[in-house]
Amino acid sequence: MNSTSGSEVIMSVKDIKIFFELEHYHHKGIRDVFVSAMSHPFEFLMKQKELFYVINGVSLNITQGMRLGILGTNGSGKTTLCRSLAGMMQPQLGSISTVKEVRAIFDTGTGVVPELTGRENAYLLARLFFPAKKDLKGIVEEAIEFSELGHFIDIPFNQYSKGMQSRLLLPLVTSIPSDILILDEVFDAADIFFQNKFAGRMKTFIASSSATIFVSHSIDQIRQVCNHLIVLHKGKIHFEGSVEEGYQEYLKLNPSSEVLDRSPFGPGT
Amino acid sequence: MNVGQYWTQISELTLASVKARYRRTFAGFLWVLLNPILQFGVQSLVFKQFLKLDTPNYYLFLLGGLLPWIFITTTIGMGTPVFVSNSHLLRSFKINPMIVLCSQILDNFINFMASVFLILTPIYLFSNQSLVNLLGIPLAILPLLITTASITVILATLNVFYRDINFVIGFILNLLFFLTPVFYPREYVPDHLRWIIDVNPFLYVIEPFRWLFLSPSWSEFMMWFGKGIGVSIGFLLISIYVWKRRRNEFYFRL
Repeated sequence: MNSTSGSEVIMSVKDIKIFFELEHYHHKGIRDVFVSAMSHPFEFLMKQKELFYVINGVSLNITQGMRLGILGTNGSGKTTLCRSLAGMMQPQLGSISTVKEVRAIFDTGTGVVPELTGRENAYLLARLFFPAKKDLKGIVEEAIEFSELGHFIDIPFNQYSKGMQSRLLLPLVTSIPSDILILDEVFDAADIFFQNKFAGRMKTFIASSSATIFVSHSIDQIRQVCNHLIVLHKGKIHFEGSVEEGYQEYLKLNPSSEVLDRSPFGPGT
Repeated sequence: MNVGQYWTQISELTLASVKARYRRTFAGFLWVLLNPILQFGVQSLVFKQFLKLDTPNYYLFLLGGLLPWIFITTTIGMGTPVFVSNSHLLRSFKINPMIVLCSQILDNFINFMASVFLILTPIYLFSNQSLVNLLGIPLAILPLLITTASITVILATLNVFYRDINFVIGFILNLLFFLTPVFYPREYVPDHLRWIIDVNPFLYVIEPFRWLFLSPSWSEFMMWFGKGIGVSIGFLLISIYVWKRRRNEFYFRL
């Protein structure tokens, strides 16, 4: 293996596949199903459903201390891979085994009950993130302090700008160290001053977690955080190794010709 | 996560959404009771005074069926769109979607229990009947709660795939209101047509509850209760199957 070989494996991914029947995607509602069953009854019942593989055989070992970056074009399966590593999705084939606690964040632009204030949302989110923690006051108040939101903290969360939302959420999710941390394109909203302030906190946090999995389209961010990289392409690992080599491999992929027409969602998903 | 932690999450989320909706005002709480009171008022007027349904203890009879029915329809109505309306939250964090749905169900269940203790129980006490029956309430709501929750899980999951389910379900529930013995007793239905209402699963979760307030023989109650438990286990298994099967695709469609 690569630079991290020899370390203790804390998460082991063995040949996982995630797929679904493409047929569902032509039906937006029960009415569509009804209409197509009535107008083409034979086809509706007999037509072979086409399988679409979002993840098509990925094997991966996450070792102690690994800061894994994931690069890939839109629709290459990055988010789906992260969701399965986080345990939100269960691969139909293959296995993922870990004994560690996994925390995963895919977006920072959302509150639990947006009608409530930022502070109330912070407490709720903390409860959802840290179910085992008895007393949340210390960590939530510290995160609020760090966010520098001032009196904005007591106005409804749905009046926050995207940047303000991530100012509140980023310190909150990094308030307790986690074993494995998954961050999927979460750094883009906050302003440059906060990003710089947050970078220091992030370094400490990453240092105290056993492993970090980091998805970004910004190679600079990946260079800052990661010591290992995979390039995902068409649901498979196209490259695994060092950050710089991986970036060169990534640039060789030409997304315009084949990737986008393969995705049933269109670009950007 | 253990059961206690799930419970903490569900209850705190429920509390927060109740708070967001009513901001802890007394009027907000009255609003919850207003719906069953108005429905009860109108239906008892129409069926007892206009149509002159001749059923002993009609007010108790009607309330005993109507309150569970309102619980069923509001839970399904408010629960079905939950995954879609919280899609941003569910896609952003590793949060078990069931926590969000269960909190919505719990919210409706609390409203249901409030209407039972503030509307139905006083009327029951005024009619001078045995207090012992009230002890059966926890037993009788079990099939009602499990079946309603399971159906809501199934519909909320399918709603992610077929967005018009909520609309279709509202339509179907309107029809089912007349095919469920809520405002008329099952015995009114002629024998050769009775299968029409006997295939309706809601019958078996409403009847055990209603029986309590009509001072039945306990053996009759246990008969309905047994059937109710059977129906609820059936729906529970279906809901687990649907959720497990759809769980992956769920995130693509949210």
